[in-house]
Order: sequence, then C-alpha cells, then structure tokens
Amino acid sequence: MPTDHLLTQVRTGPATAGATIGQGQAGFLQALHAEWTKLRTVRSALWTLAAMAGSILGIAVFVGATRSLQPDDTILGGSLTGAAFGLIVAASFGVLVMAREYVTGTIRATFIACPRRRTVLAAKATVTAVSMFTVALGACLLAYQIGTVMLSGHGYAPGAPMPTLLGVAACFSVTGLLGLAVGTALRHPAAAITTMFAGILLPSLLGPLLGDWQRWVAGGSPLAALQKLSQSSDAAPEVAGSLGAWPSLWLICGYAAVALAGAAALLQRRDV
Amino acid sequence: MIETSQLTKRYGHKLAVDQLSVQIQPGRVTGFLGPNGAGKSTTLRLILGLDAPTGGSATVNGRPYRQLPVPLREVGALLDTRAVHGGRTAHDHLLCLAHSNRIPRQRVGQVLELAGLANVAGTRVKGFSLGMGQRLGIAAALLGDPGVLVLDEPVNGLDTDGIRWIRDLLRGLAGEGRTVLVSSHLMSEMELTADHLIVIGQGRLLADTSMRAFIAGNSEAATVVRSPQWELLRPLLEARGALVQSEPTGSWRVSGPDPATIGAIAAAHQIQLHELSPRFSSLEEAYLRMTDRTVDHRAGLRLDAHLTTTTGDEG
Repeated sequence: MPTDHLLTQVRTGPATAGATIGQGQAGFLQALHAEWTKLRTVRSALWTLAAMAGSILGIAVFVGATRSLQPDDTILGGSLTGAAFGLIVAASFGVLVMAREYVTGTIRATFIACPRRRTVLAAKATVTAVSMFTVALGACLLAYQIGTVMLSGHGYAPGAPMPTLLGVAACFSVTGLLGLAVGTALRHPAAAITTMFAGILLPSLLGPLLGDWQRWVAGGSPLAALQKLSQSSDAAPEVAGSLGAWPSLWLICGYAAVALAGAAALLQRRDV
Repeated sequence: MIETSQLTKRYGHKLAVDQLSVQIQPGRVTGFLGPNGAGKSTTLRLILGLDAPTGGSATVNGRPYRQLPVPLREVGALLDTRAVHGGRTAHDHLLCLAHSNRIPRQRVGQVLELAGLANVAGTRVKGFSLGMGQRLGIAAALLGDPGVLVLDEPVNGLDTDGIRWIRDLLRGLAGEGRTVLVSSHLMSEMELTADHLIVIGQGRLLADTSMRAFIAGNSEAATVVRSPQWELLRPLLEARGALVQSEPTGSWRVSGPDPATIGAIAAAHQIQLHELSPRFSSLEEAYLRMTDRTVDHRAGLRLDAHLTTTTGDEG
C-alpha cells in the first residue's frame, strides 16, 4: 500500500477539491438520479423487471398457441392473461425498492446522504412508477401483437387496445407504489410481499361475503382493476366487484396515495 | 464542529444516552471511548440524524443534521461496513451516493484510489473482505470532501497496513483543520491516533479531556527498577511504604516513592542499580482505572467487562 503517496493526495485535497466537487446540491432531482442509478446497477432489480415482462409475454404465447380462451373473450383480454402474474411481480418489485435497503443496511447510507426522507420516498416512488409503467406498457403491447398474430381468424373479437393498455400499465405503476408503501411500512421483504399478495388476491375472495361493501373491497384490488380493464371474462362482478373498470383504477390510485402518505409519516418518525 | 447539548435517547426503559453535552472541535482527532453498550453508536446515529433524540439536540456546523443542505459536502460518516448492497460494485455504490449530492463522477475514482480500492472498483461488494469493506466505507465518507468526519470503529477488520493507513489518514485530515470524531474500543490504537478523548459509560459523560491529561490524571505513578541486589533493596523500599510488583522482564515495578527517592535509598546503602525509569500508564490502564472508579455497584456491572474480553463491534 503506497501510504505516503495517498496521504499526499488527501492533504492537497481541500485546495483542489472545491474545483472538482463544485457546490453540490441535494434535492429531489439528485435523489431521483441516485435512485435511478441504484436501479440500473443491481442485477436482481433488472431481473425482476425481466421476469415481469416475461410472465406477460410467456403466457400470451401460451394462450395464443393453445387457444385457451372463452368464446366471449377478446384477443386483447386473452393476450393479457399473464398480466395477473406480472402484477404480483410488480408488487414484489415495489416492496424491494425500499425493503431491500433495510435488509442490506444501505438505508443508513441513503439517509446520511439525503436526510430528507420524504424526498427519498418521492424519488423511489417516481422510479418505481415510471419503470413499472414503461416495462408493463411495452410488454402488454407486444403481448397484444403476439395474440393478434396467433389468434386472428379464429372468431375472437379483437378488443380495443387503447386506452386500455395505458390503464393496464397504470395498474402496474399503482401496484408497484402500493408495494413501495407496504415495504416502507413493514421494512421486512417477506412480510411485505406476503401482505401484498394478500392485498391482491384476498379482496376478490372476501368481497362476495360483504354485501353492499363488495364494490369497495372486491373492486379495490389492483387485480380486479386489471381484469376489468383488459376486458377479461374473469372480471365477473361477483369476483371483481361491481365498480366499472376505470373507477376501479381510480379507487386503487386513491388507496396507493393513502398508503404512501402513511408510509411517509412512518418513515419520517422512525429511527433507522 | 459537532455539538451536543443535553442529548438524551431512551429506548423503552433503557436510557442509551443520558444528557450528553460535548463539543467536538476541529483540527484534532477526538477519540470516542466507552465499552460496548455505553451509547457510542447511538450518539453517532443521533448526530447523523438517523435516530431522533428523546431530549436535547445535536448539531453539525451549527445545524441539526437533517437541515444540512448538502450533507455529504459537510459530513462524512462511516457507521458500519455492511451498509452496502452486495450486488453492486464498489464504483456503483459510490456513484449512487455521489449522484444524491451532485458530486461529480470523477470524484468517485479519486476516493477509490485514495482508499486503495482502484483495482477492485468494478468488483461486486459481496466478495469484499471486512478490511476492503472498511476501506469502501472510508471512501464513501471522503466522497464529498467534508470538513467533519464521524467514524465508528474504523479499524475493525483492517490488517496492520490498513490500521497504519487509517491512523495517518485521520491525523492528516485533522491536520488540515477538519473535525474528526472516531469511536473505538481498541485502546492502544486510540492512544496513537487521538489528541482528545471523550469517554462515556452507560450513556453518561465520564471524561472530556486531552489524551495527555487523561492519562496523567488516571495514572498510577510507578518506577521500573532493576538491580542485582534487589533482595537488599526491596525491604528498604517496603519499609517506606512502597508497593512492589514483579514485571515479566525480570525487573520490578515500584509504586510509592519517586525515582529520585529510590535512587537516594540505593546510593545510601551502596546498592547497584541497572535500571531506574519512571513508568507512565498506557491509555488502557488509565481507562481501566477511571472506569473502576465509576463502577455501577448496585447493578454489579463492571464498565470494562466487555472491553477487556471482546473485540466485537456494537450492535
């Protein structure tokens, strides 16, 4: 170790450092830049995105090849069958954006660099929402193309891709944000992911038991919104609630906003 | 400068930090001593805004940490080496931190070079040894070229070269007028590095003094004596109330009379002396003497119990 040489560098540091480091700044844009860099420099995060796209596309190919559609299904709805699985991956992705930092201890480095914690959460939310939307939209567009190629001429209605696919992609963003909020609140990935699975799957199971509340509960799952948007025959009112497709999406947006506000309050108050 | 005022942190029923008021001045290395569980790490977390105090306040350059506009430009911190995602490379880990404070990319290369990690910049961190992780933590602390450094157990896991490197680095940084606060439970290392000491036990301030004054104030005056006629000298010294102990080197450690008195006694009885040297306590001895006096008798806890038996870091 050439200690003396290195030491000289430190000693001459302050005189020259100002020039190389500049003034610095630590606001939302810097936090966003950092979070984006975090996402693209960890292989597991990129694999999660690939798994999400892969589950949408893989099942679209399977449905196309086996023609496993109900006669009243649209090509759009059939092609997006895999989106339900993708949604579960999106929930895990959102959870891990925050919870992984608690597991690795990186959260302390993050908050030392950026002690305004709501800014960090906002940056993570932006990265989550944008990456989920982009990847989901791309994968769903491609899935619809695959479905169109494989299923055209077999008597299925094509379905209306726009603005449906934008709504489906928004579903992924909102699910990712719900995951982020739950991951922030619970801090343990396994607990948070389990909670998210329950939140996605239970409403459609419990909804029918709740009478008049059904539309708020069963329709409040991101999965219900997704199924209604994609015009799938699975979206019967008994399992997905009686709320319309877009109102379902607005409803889960509201849930996500409330969840994130709660997570921000916890984040601000708790010790790290 | 770092300043705490009546800083208090309570976890449930346990008082981790108890009305701690200290100022950590620039231009010198301040050692932060205390046994495991004394509240060192908690104090550092409070200073860095990671934990919120139950009472009192901690400021860096006059402001609470959470209000620093560009934190990494003012404060560099090393808390624990595990605070890194194992799947990221050393370079990328620092790049994320640099982006968050708009520190230019080339500074990442500089601090990697400085920490001796340039050749493993592209290696994923999970393959790093404890010592390399420690160097990466130091690199992160130096990223923003900060005027204040807060380092928790920086020599943990480092080899001899690394320990020397940290020592020279910290002394160099303090020599440039920076504020350097470094916690450790390794007394011998601290003795070589720190100019000033803050000692806490059970969350309370026990000492805030210069290294020299601390050792002098907590030393037992002693003289090392070697003589071929020790059997003659010993009863004469003991008659004067001296306490003698054998040293592993074959000489004797005499407490009580000063070297001049011992010399005079030997001369008066024509006893040959081969060695007569005043002996100062090490920081470790001074520390143990001081903490012995502040033992919590009710609880039957010795403050130094962990210190002498463990080398692990605080949780």
